[in-house]
Amino acid sequence: MHYCGDFRTTYRKDMEIFQTPFIKVCMAVFLVFLLVLPVLKLKGEYLLKGEYLWILLQILIASIGAVGINILTGYTGQISLGQGAFLGVGAYTSAYVTAKMGLSFWVGIPAAGLVTALAGMVFGIPSLRLKGLYLAIATLASQFILEWIFVRWESVTGGSHGITIPRPSIAGHTFSTDRSYYYIVLAVAIVMILFAANLMRTRTGRAFMAVRDHYISAEIMGIHLFKYRLLSFGISSFYAGVAGALFGHSLKYVTSEQFNIEVSIVYLAMIIIGGLGSIIGSIFGAVFMILLPKLLSVVTEMVSADIPSIARLAISFEHGIFGLIIILFLIFEPDGLAHRWKMVKAYWKLYPFSY
Amino acid sequence: MGRKRIRMAAVAACTMFLFAGVALAADIKVGHLADLTGPTSSVGNPYAKGVQDYKNYVNAHGGINGKQIDMQMFDYAYDKNKAVNQYKKYLEEKVIAIQGWGTGDTEALTGFLAADKIPYLSASYSPNLTDPKEAPYNFFIAADYTTQLRAGLKYIKDNWKEKRAPKLVFIYPNHPYGIAPIKGGKAYAKELGFLGFEELGDEEVGLKAIEANSQMLSVKNKGADFGWIGGTTPSAAVIIKDAKKLGLKTKFLVNVWGNDEDLIKIAGDAADGVLGLQAAAVYGDKVPGMKLIQEVTKNEHQNTHYIRGWVSMMVLCEALKIADKKGQLNGPGVKDALETLKDFDTGGLTSKITFTPTDHRPNMSAKIYEYQKGKLVYKTTIELPRKAEWLGL
Repeated sequence: MHYCGDFRTTYRKDMEIFQTPFIKVCMAVFLVFLLVLPVLKLKGEYLLKGEYLWILLQILIASIGAVGINILTGYTGQISLGQGAFLGVGAYTSAYVTAKMGLSFWVGIPAAGLVTALAGMVFGIPSLRLKGLYLAIATLASQFILEWIFVRWESVTGGSHGITIPRPSIAGHTFSTDRSYYYIVLAVAIVMILFAANLMRTRTGRAFMAVRDHYISAEIMGIHLFKYRLLSFGISSFYAGVAGALFGHSLKYVTSEQFNIEVSIVYLAMIIIGGLGSIIGSIFGAVFMILLPKLLSVVTEMVSADIPSIARLAISFEHGIFGLIIILFLIFEPDGLAHRWKMVKAYWKLYPFSY
Repeated sequence: MGRKRIRMAAVAACTMFLFAGVALAADIKVGHLADLTGPTSSVGNPYAKGVQDYKNYVNAHGGINGKQIDMQMFDYAYDKNKAVNQYKKYLEEKVIAIQGWGTGDTEALTGFLAADKIPYLSASYSPNLTDPKEAPYNFFIAADYTTQLRAGLKYIKDNWKEKRAPKLVFIYPNHPYGIAPIKGGKAYAKELGFLGFEELGDEEVGLKAIEANSQMLSVKNKGADFGWIGGTTPSAAVIIKDAKKLGLKTKFLVNVWGNDEDLIKIAGDAADGVLGLQAAAVYGDKVPGMKLIQEVTKNEHQNTHYIRGWVSMMVLCEALKIADKKGQLNGPGVKDALETLKDFDTGGLTSKITFTPTDHRPNMSAKIYEYQKGKLVYKTTIELPRKAEWLGL
């Protein structure tokens, strides 16, 4: 929050990512909250366990993937329907590196990012000529091609058998529980999200946005369109690869079923609901898309416990309600959760004297 | 007097409650993942009903050595994320075994089961799950997909009268479930002397296909005598309907999830002459174990998948009994108990079931049924040798 008379006297101050002491305190509190959340105990029992701890873990992983696709779609304006497959490339790369080559997780994750970045750049080549819906179809093709490779390239992917992969370990200590693995994912997520937030404030990030807003103007201004589009594909896929690898290690098993077109659509939905071209929006979107099905099933369970006769009906409605919520969201909040977040902040900034 | 009696009654009631409490505490917790509303619900419903019906029967007739089975079904609607979420919840509730369902949930959980030591009885009969080196806690009660395919091929070859070699084509979806048996199946087809499948190439028909004209035209041009269908019932129905429309003379062999009573409903008389692989008896077959099923279901016809669900629970209950006797009612205990099963008799519902610590293939046989005038007619049961090199393939 800014207070009255808050002005900056140096450029350095103007360029800070967290600008006021209040924001800094907030971020620090949030970080501490994320750190202690899995180990909080209530009456001797963990507050978050089993299912909910798993969901929290999945939200973190999805946040990385959502930030990735937002860089490409939200910031650079290149629609991608291949995010699911790119997650898969990352997961399979890390699986190959750790399970088949026997190298460490710490090699597997960057390798996953790099290989996926390369794959993303290859499939991003059509972006030079294709825009909008046409590019969407081209990336859709990448989804199907990659899925086909996952099932058929048996020597690398294990074909229909999949690959069993280990959880990471440091100096003999294996992060085998979800609770310990959470901290690894959290660390990676924080680094990657901060990097993305900063990237968007650099020359590269601004070039991405220029390409998105008006590619002809951007080109006239001297932005090399092809280079930046490809770069965007590369960076975005790097994120997808890392997210996919983290997901694979969380499940301890990689198979093609986990990276189908549905995953791509869910990721696209995440950034549309969260807010296109917004880092925090990607995170909101990830939280929303992963929590909503759970919340819905909790509600249907409660309803069906009270009225058993409609239990079956309620469960079938779950998907319908899920769709309805998304549609309502798009009607009433077309700019995504990030925009709503801004409005809430603006409201409290001037409270109670808004004008 | 009156007051005393009331007090005694109260004490009795209290003790009963106490004992009830003890009995509850000694319940055996088992998980059950089912698809009742998702894309595989048409086969998921009868299977899940079979599992639950057998549990209810056991609970009503003394339970597991007096202990009740507490098995809450969860409808995960074939959503693998939901399956994993629920699995984490089951872990928290300390279940000692899980009745699972299809390829989706089984594969999503394979990485966890061994680490968490939870035996998992799936209805996905993927051959890779039979190798304890890869999947030590996975079990199922039917011969794996490849073994069933081999049995079907052997049946065809045994009944092939002409002098020339039969031509075969493989039709399956590009899906782990469809691809799993192809490699092993082809090797065996070559061994048996089938022709055509190598030169002619495979046909792909997706699980959600609504027509298969181009593929069937291609099969027609190849002049295949036999076609293996490795999809599910809806896609198998599409294939045989389009094949009939195009006047194909190809005889089809359909795998276990691709043929059941629904095939007759969807495909009508196109189903006539189709060979179906079954791992269990069909409702109403004259085998000793069927009597109980007919009693429990009050003679109401059940889909073939119901019987495999029933047997899956029957096998698990047997293992629970053994584990309980040893005082080992926990994940590893149930696994060990399952691995002691030798020629376990399911009353003729399926072939006898054997698990060992190094081999989780329940048996090496498949039942062949032929669709004739809207009925499933039992042909024979094919037994294959338990070859070590087939394990996991």
